[in-house]
Amino acid sequence: MNSPVKIWRNQKYIASMLGREGAIVSWTVIRVPPGGFSNLAPYPVVVVDLPAGKAGLVGDGRITAQLVDWTESDLAVGKRVRVVVRRISEPTTEGIIPYGIKVKPV
Amino acid sequence: MNVYITGAATTKFGELWATSPRQLAGEAVGGALKDAGIGIRRIQALFVGNMLSGILGGQEHLGAFFAEELGITAPAFKIEGACASGGLALHNAVNSVLSGQYDTVVVLGVEKMTDHKPEDVATALMGAGSEEERSAGATFPGLYAILACAYMREYGTTREQLAAVAVKNHYHASLNPNAQFHTTITIEQVVRSSRIADPLRLLDCSPISDGASAVVVSNKKSAHGILVAASTVATDSLGLAGRASLTQLAATKEAGKRAYARAGITPKDIDVAEVHDCFTIAEILAMEDLGFFAKGKAAAAIAAGETRLGKSRHLVVNPSGGLKGCGHPVGATGVKQIVELVDQLRGRAGARQVQGATIGLAHNVGGSGATAVVHILKK
Repeated sequence: MNSPVKIWRNQKYIASMLGREGAIVSWTVIRVPPGGFSNLAPYPVVVVDLPAGKAGLVGDGRITAQLVDWTESDLAVGKRVRVVVRRISEPTTEGIIPYGIKVKPV
Repeated sequence: MNVYITGAATTKFGELWATSPRQLAGEAVGGALKDAGIGIRRIQALFVGNMLSGILGGQEHLGAFFAEELGITAPAFKIEGACASGGLALHNAVNSVLSGQYDTVVVLGVEKMTDHKPEDVATALMGAGSEEERSAGATFPGLYAILACAYMREYGTTREQLAAVAVKNHYHASLNPNAQFHTTITIEQVVRSSRIADPLRLLDCSPISDGASAVVVSNKKSAHGILVAASTVATDSLGLAGRASLTQLAATKEAGKRAYARAGITPKDIDVAEVHDCFTIAEILAMEDLGFFAKGKAAAAIAAGETRLGKSRHLVVNPSGGLKGCGHPVGATGVKQIVELVDQLRGRAGARQVQGATIGLAHNVGGSGATAVVHILKK
């Protein structure tokens, strides 16, 4: 799932997304997480409209991402969020720390 | 050329720890062949619907795997389309007969899920989503919860109305000897069950299940053959972020529209439907996307019992118990829906029989709506 080559290949995409801002379109709070995410739960997953669009990828400028640094009051449609880089999940058995995109309240 | 379902059978669905995938397949295919009144040598091809055997069990090459188990050397194929694998396998089987390549083929839907840890199953199922959704730590309940959040906000649907879908489907399952659950549940129990992905709770979610279902597809009409009046597939973006709307599944709308046109009918003509209720919100979306209710009206109609056995005057939805009550071995589900419709149209569904049913619709979804398969069957 997270090979070093794949992480390296995603660097440009991650860099292009950092700092972008948008608004929450819909959200949930994951209470029962998949493998590798148990130390983070519960955590919100949100769909965000990014007005500037999403560079180099298909789609209409929306992304699905995990919300970090959150409180209950941030869980609202229309809430402004910004793209940040974070550790995605627990390290793999090979010791690779997977970094990627999350969003945090503005 | 017409194509018929001439035999249909399913195993019991549930936590079948004592039963292997090979045994499940043998039981389902054996039952379907017996129902069709033919021997295995008449089968010219095998289509296997399955999603998780590779990632969970380490076993791929399922066409040959199950052909070996059945003792045949006919052409055999595995078809994968997440939770729509079963419906997709049937679509391909129907096309293969329509092409004139084969006269009689078997479709087997099979999944073995309870051998594995629930978090491993949750991770494996996310193979049906997008990379971005996996990186977000989303689960399938989570993706449908996002749809539920958007839908409830738009149409003012209540938590209790969502719960009514699960209550209805558990009631239907209580009448189905092959269902995973035989207990009825209440609205109160659903809305107080443990939280999985807000606003969805445990009893909004279909379970992790084992099971297999099989049908015989043929261009020769037998005494009890059921006509496949339409078989359609539509595709949408893999992830939710690629969708223009989060309050409908466009693939379902498209597959449904084309199926009605192909069969020359309208939604009003359907007597019985098996739809993809992997989560309670999914049945509400399906009811609207398939044209049974106007946008925003399905939740209240379901809660009022308009699609419940014994109460509905024109359409009964998920008499098998659906994915929620009957169980959801993901690759088997799409084929089980067809088995249920065949039983209903042949008038042999026992306590859950929809009286006088002559036209049935099956709706099978892969992922959060990236694949939708619709079949219309006629007596």
